[in-house]
Amino acid sequence: MAETPRPGERVERFEVEDAWLVDPVNGLEGRGSLRVEGGRIVTVEWAGEPSGGAAAHEPPRTEPRPERPTVIVAPAFVDLHVHLRQPGREDAETVATGLAAAAHGGFGTVCAMANTTPAIDSTGLVEAVQELARASGSPVRLFTYGATSAGRAGQTLSQMGEMADAGAIGFSDDGSPVADASLFRNALAYAGALGRMLVEHPEDPALTKGAEANEGLVATILGLKGWPAAGEESAVARDLAILADVVASYPASAAPHLHLTHLSTAGSIDLVRRAKAAGLPVTCDVTPHHLALHEGWVAGDRRFAWEAADALWVGGRADAAPYDQSTRVNPPLRTPADALALWSGLRDGTVDAIVTDHAPHTQVDKLVEYGDAANGISGIETACSLVLAGVEAGLLPLRDAIRALTLGPRRVLGSVVATGRRGASESLVPGLVEGAAANLVVIDTADGWDVTPETLRSKGKNSPLLGRRLRGRVLATLVDGRFAYAELGGVEAALAAAAG
Amino acid sequence: MTPREDALTQGWHHRHLLDVDMLSASDIDLVMRTAVEMKEILGRPIPKVPTLRGTQVTILFYEASTRTRVSFEVAAKNLSADVVNIAASSSSVTKGESLVDTIRTVEALGADMIVMRHARSGAPYLAAQVFSGHVLNGGDGWHAHPTQALLDLFTLRDRLPGGKVAGRKIVILGDILHSRVARSNIWTLTTMGADLWLCGPPTLLRGLERWAGALPSNRRLTVTTDLRAALRGAHAVMALRLQQERMAGGLLPSLREYSLRYGLTATTLRWARADALVMHPGPMNEGVEIGPEIAAFERSVVTDQVANGVAVRMALLYLIAGSGPIEGGETHG
Amino acid sequence: MTARQIMTTDDLRRAVVRISHEIVEKHGGTDRLAIVGIQRRGVPLAHRIADAIGQHEGVRPPVGALDITFYRDDLSMVAHQPIVKGTDLPFDVNVLTIVIVDDVLYTGRTARAAMDALMDFGRPSAIRLAVLVDRGHRELPIRADHVGKNVPTSRDEIVRVHVVEFDGVDEVLLDRLPTTEAKA
Repeated sequence: MAETPRPGERVERFEVEDAWLVDPVNGLEGRGSLRVEGGRIVTVEWAGEPSGGAAAHEPPRTEPRPERPTVIVAPAFVDLHVHLRQPGREDAETVATGLAAAAHGGFGTVCAMANTTPAIDSTGLVEAVQELARASGSPVRLFTYGATSAGRAGQTLSQMGEMADAGAIGFSDDGSPVADASLFRNALAYAGALGRMLVEHPEDPALTKGAEANEGLVATILGLKGWPAAGEESAVARDLAILADVVASYPASAAPHLHLTHLSTAGSIDLVRRAKAAGLPVTCDVTPHHLALHEGWVAGDRRFAWEAADALWVGGRADAAPYDQSTRVNPPLRTPADALALWSGLRDGTVDAIVTDHAPHTQVDKLVEYGDAANGISGIETACSLVLAGVEAGLLPLRDAIRALTLGPRRVLGSVVATGRRGASESLVPGLVEGAAANLVVIDTADGWDVTPETLRSKGKNSPLLGRRLRGRVLATLVDGRFAYAELGGVEAALAAAAG
Repeated sequence: MTPREDALTQGWHHRHLLDVDMLSASDIDLVMRTAVEMKEILGRPIPKVPTLRGTQVTILFYEASTRTRVSFEVAAKNLSADVVNIAASSSSVTKGESLVDTIRTVEALGADMIVMRHARSGAPYLAAQVFSGHVLNGGDGWHAHPTQALLDLFTLRDRLPGGKVAGRKIVILGDILHSRVARSNIWTLTTMGADLWLCGPPTLLRGLERWAGALPSNRRLTVTTDLRAALRGAHAVMALRLQQERMAGGLLPSLREYSLRYGLTATTLRWARADALVMHPGPMNEGVEIGPEIAAFERSVVTDQVANGVAVRMALLYLIAGSGPIEGGETHG
Repeated sequence: MTARQIMTTDDLRRAVVRISHEIVEKHGGTDRLAIVGIQRRGVPLAHRIADAIGQHEGVRPPVGALDITFYRDDLSMVAHQPIVKGTDLPFDVNVLTIVIVDDVLYTGRTARAAMDALMDFGRPSAIRLAVLVDRGHRELPIRADHVGKNVPTSRDEIVRVHVVEFDGVDEVLLDRLPTTEAKA
């Protein structure tokens, strides 16, 4: 394999020696080697006994940190929440560029939100997006959500049944909440009967009207209109109350599944924790930017959340100029304490998945006054590095982090993907076992990469991490036995270093 | 303080004036001292010096304003700068041109300095990012109004007994939440050691107690809804303009109720010191946040604020026009 | 240091006294005469000249201070703005003979700026120039009426006038321009 393989090329022979293998499906991790031939894992050799058990609830800092190889091999990541902008905003992203970015970020599966222009609210659009994915030649699997309401207008239900038949894996008006509580209740029940989850963006629009940044110290000092934590938490509380009502009052076959996406506050995590303890059918996710960044980034503070928690920015000079539009995102970057609460939710299993909410935007939409800038961070390529930074800081054991990027989201999807058109062939997240299709990511944690407009494959260069060097470099992403991304020179160099 | 940070010996080294939170006490002292010299010029028969001859100052206001715009214009003209006025209503701004494009156009037309007012907090930072000259913030959203805060400080030092604000109890009264004047005054007054109080109805104080609590202990900031407690023993009271649209947002029941509970009147002012100064950044709603009998009375320094505004803006235009890397400023032929 | 003393404390005192006599002689007395020092070292020198006149004439002419910063023609060339020291002219300049006092006369640009500044305050009947050291290299058609000492210099040299009020000692040194200042 002298030449760098092209995306889509079948993996004839691929070998990783002396790496750190993480297999969340079988709850194993340890030193070992792995060989792929003809698109399948043919050998997995553990050097000694892998540490087993799905002990995801250990306190993180007491976890033994054995000296481990710097190259990690894990199942390719699954992202439940991306925006690929097609149809409608091909200047910001296309399905093809979005899948290339996903592969560069280590993701083998992405689930595209329905807030395109027009919104994906009919079978034709669901199928059109699937067709774009096929045409891209990328092996990265794309699933699509349908809109919850027709035209995402929040008035009437979308063509849920038809879209489910066409392969929609769930429904969401993401970008906005379903503000009408009655419509939300009906949508939850109706989707449930179709075996589909409802993915809700929790936000109380009355509390967030005109909001520019998290309502807190930074927004107060910078004079930005506040997006209060209560604006999310009251919506989460409403959604959970309605979920309980649907469970209690509708036919059992309605079997609702509520998935709350991009939770950003400590209070939201607490609400979900209690709801799960009460047995409600709810799952949730958080994003890498809410885990690693914080509201201080709006003011130019460039420390990670866990570095800033004990010494908040309170005005004056920071690392960078304030009002960087790339920090504008919905929900907004919260306090360092909120970020730490999200990590805590990952540790105790309250949070099921890490999703990127990859939201590419053009410079035209971003290089404007802060409050006029489009919301969103182009984040699918920096996600792995940000999560690993938190692992490095001791906030989460590596295996739990990998789990939240693989098996966690896989389980949120449930059985629905087995009936989806492109998911039928192979398991999305196979274990690292002989005979499984090669769905793998290879990451060099010793090496870093510079986040620049050139290194980002996404059309969206709207990342507050631009100009920064991040640890954790994806060397290869394999999907269904094909190369989605490979930096082969890097693979060889890293493997040579590991072997030496 | 290291010598390098001491503006009084090392000079001014801020390329822009975007916020006052970057200014050290010695930076502020330098502005005050330079403004004193500018005030001397204003007292001359011909209040004009050739200092900024050949410098083009573009005044780019996206929000209606009379006094700040005119004050900057007079200040620039007193320094012999060429002044270009762009009001949002008469420019391509209304045709949807982006701020960045406007700044590039203004630069191509020869601007050396831009004085900017904008309804969005942070907009001057975007201008500074694309403009190769100097940007002065003439007020951005709720965020900052640096020249107003500096002229308020100048006026206080001019009129307070002893000529300093350190240790003096100063009250800002009214709609703090939406006020860039209040935010900038929080920085300048606490930097200079004042005992600063913020007072108003609770809906207009949201988030400010958190800020007060986060400040280091050498900055004294108290937030209260109790007007009597705020005014007790105050050396100066600054009433802020109350906007009509606050009623529509459900922040206040009525103007009348506001005026009864938080209006600065001859009666409520009795709680302050007998020699307390009354300030207002203008324009005033007489009968709402300030009683007509107070607006015009002898301890009102509102007209001083206007006059001092020109001197302070001259000082800032002068200092910023020459800001660059540190160099000794005394060698001359 | 390569600095060389070119005027001692006594030299400086004698030069001030001589200039004070020349001023009175040229003006024909002390009536309608005022002395104005250019900030910063011209100001103490102006006071000393006025004191000397007071001693030998019995009348001390009024003294003012002039800050010429706002009138400099090189503001766009300096790295940052000079700190303004202040102007204080406690008299009406109209119909007075004003003697501008500075420490060193070099390019003539300061003297030009001082004249512009003075004229903004009114119309003096005459303006004269007194300097402690004339080091040559004029760039404008300006000459001093009263000179303490003519010192031939090269452009890479610097004349440092020290006065007790600011420097703790009265003396004049001739020094090499350090390379950093040469750049500026």
